[in-house]
Amino acid sequence: MRAAGRLGAALALGLALALALAIGPARAQPSEDAVKAAFLPRFARYVTWPPASVPVPAAPFHLCVVGHDPFGGALDRAAGSELIDGHRVAVRRMATASQSAGCHVAFVRGAQPQDTARLLAALRQRPILTITDARAGPQRGIIHFAVVGGRVRFFIDDAAAAERGLSISSRLLAIAAGVRQRRG
Amino acid sequence: MSLLRTLSAQRRGAPLAIVAMVGLLLIAGIGIILQNEAAYRDRQAQETRVHAEILSASVTAALDFRDAHAVQEAVDAIRVNRQVRAIGVYDAAGALIGGYGRDGAGPAPRFAEPLPPTGGAVTSAVPVIIRGERIGTVYLASDPEPLSRRITRYIIIGLLMLMAALVVVVLGVGQNALRRVNRQLEERADALARANAELKVQIGERAKAEDQLRQAQKMQALGQLTGGIAHDFNNLLTVIQGSADMLRRPGLAEDKRLRFAEAVVQASSRAAALTGQLLAFARRQPLQPEVMEVNELIDDMTDLLDRTLGERIEIRTLLADEACTVEADRTQLESALLNIAVNARDAMPGGGILTIGTASVHHGDQGAMVALSVTDSGVGMDEDTLGRAFEPFFTTKLTGKGTGLGLSQVYGFASQSGGEVRIDSAPGEGTTVTLLLPCSGASSAARAEDGGAGPARGRAGRILLVEDNEEVGAFAEDLLSELGHDIARARSGEEALERALAEPFDAVFSDVVMPGMSGLDLADRLAQERPGLPVILTTGYSDKITRSGAGGRPIILKPYRLETLATAIDQVLKDRT
Repeated sequence: MRAAGRLGAALALGLALALALAIGPARAQPSEDAVKAAFLPRFARYVTWPPASVPVPAAPFHLCVVGHDPFGGALDRAAGSELIDGHRVAVRRMATASQSAGCHVAFVRGAQPQDTARLLAALRQRPILTITDARAGPQRGIIHFAVVGGRVRFFIDDAAAAERGLSISSRLLAIAAGVRQRRG
Repeated sequence: MSLLRTLSAQRRGAPLAIVAMVGLLLIAGIGIILQNEAAYRDRQAQETRVHAEILSASVTAALDFRDAHAVQEAVDAIRVNRQVRAIGVYDAAGALIGGYGRDGAGPAPRFAEPLPPTGGAVTSAVPVIIRGERIGTVYLASDPEPLSRRITRYIIIGLLMLMAALVVVVLGVGQNALRRVNRQLEERADALARANAELKVQIGERAKAEDQLRQAQKMQALGQLTGGIAHDFNNLLTVIQGSADMLRRPGLAEDKRLRFAEAVVQASSRAAALTGQLLAFARRQPLQPEVMEVNELIDDMTDLLDRTLGERIEIRTLLADEACTVEADRTQLESALLNIAVNARDAMPGGGILTIGTASVHHGDQGAMVALSVTDSGVGMDEDTLGRAFEPFFTTKLTGKGTGLGLSQVYGFASQSGGEVRIDSAPGEGTTVTLLLPCSGASSAARAEDGGAGPARGRAGRILLVEDNEEVGAFAEDLLSELGHDIARARSGEEALERALAEPFDAVFSDVVMPGMSGLDLADRLAQERPGLPVILTTGYSDKITRSGAGGRPIILKPYRLETLATAIDQVLKDRT
């Protein structure tokens, strides 16, 4: 009886170890897009919008994907679990910038780099935190994803943010791979 | 300190108070240490929490964006604090993102509430919250201050308390000792006071006993005095009475009449000498000092002494060449010399040599003195006799042979004359009695003519006789009448003054001691009212005259002889004319 109990315990321990080993690498290296999808809703926490753009209570923050959407359901899941000052985060997908009214954050990715530039230009006059990805082209929004040293990092154009009346938390600036400082 | 004094004031409460104070101090010390420790723990917990909160704030974004590198940088910034033992930064799911562990004590790989127990470390877990959402946890464990440093600090506190306790104990012990000493002092003072009181009682009792002894001695002396005097006087009275009885017989032959009369005179003289000695002893006899040469006096007395001492005693004189003069009562000095000589004779029943010498000496600060010494070759005196020789009524002679007043008279005379007397004697060695008398600067006056042979007939006068005693008054009146004077009698000073102012008199003869106005007062008044009226005073003894003298007036001492009275009266009457 005793020998059998000991064998059972050893088996259980082995199984647990195997499971842990199997999960560990999977968690350690999620896909690049999944990481970016997880990051997108979080930027809103570190940004302060002009009072006119802050959502009324019970209204959500709008996370818009303008142009091509590389994230799919991962973005929806990430946004669904997010809560910023009690506001939910709603994901809206749109092909053009004309529908961008009410957006707080916009991931911009045209089919071509020129498309991206055009979309960014269209959004320039609005208090929207624009986000771009280095994989889609060199055009940069206020936040620009890039893989540095095998990790997903981002650059921040604080000067552009200032132009749009946005204020980005120093905490976020601190972990950015690079920051274009605002003037003055 | 005042508390301590108050407590110590209560005698038996003091040691207990000290123990209580020391106990309180120690408890206070322990309390301070415990409170200090608790405060320190609180502070450390707070510090740890603040550290964790700072870290939490600085890793927020890094944690949010899974930037393990940035997380580790923030962690490394905290770890410079050596007290921080372990740091863990966990994501919302509890997975470790970054951390640090000193001495192999790493953070747990997964975060779970409650916090795992840590040996002595202060731990704090602070949630990482951004915009109301918890995105992870910061765990921080820090070591308390090294035990050695804490112990050092507490030892210092403990030492301070110990010293305070020690001070209290020392003070308390000192206080106790002081109180004990005080108590002993009080006891000693009490004992001393008791001893003093006892001593006072004893002194009082002793004084009482001495008083009683003196009284007894006085009574004894009085007994001896009355015995001796009565004996001597009875003898003399027998002679006087017998002679008077014989004189009254009719048809007595002339030679017998003269012999009995002479016997009365001699017995009376001896009685007078006896009372004179008594008064000298009592120092009540007024002195009649005159300046005289001692050598001359001794020369004059040699014949008398020869007759008194008898043939078996040889008298030698060793007189100094320049023996000075003295101022003394001649009769008293003669009496003294005679008393000493009689004693010497009695000390030499088988005969011997009596040496009378004079010498000039300087005695202490009393200046020049004459030493008149009388030395016999007799039996001498033992120490006991020597010690009592001057005592009145002390005598070695058989009852009736001596009054015990001889040397007393010598002593009284010497003291009264400003001199002193000494006796040097030993059994079988003979005796030397030395009379020291102060020298007088005045030269020796020629000796007054002694009436001697009989009443010299001077001029008769009118005399005022003042005498309160009837018998003495009648006697004096007879004597003065016999001398041929005209007599007026007054019985008091007042009456005499009245009569003296009313009638003319040639002289006043007054007693000194009288009720009312005394003879001296009368003389003083008469000196004012009737200057030039001579006053002769007479007295048995008088304190006043002994003390202040008679103011230069002639004094006749009682008992007086007819010749003395006649001479004095003649003298003043002669001066008056």
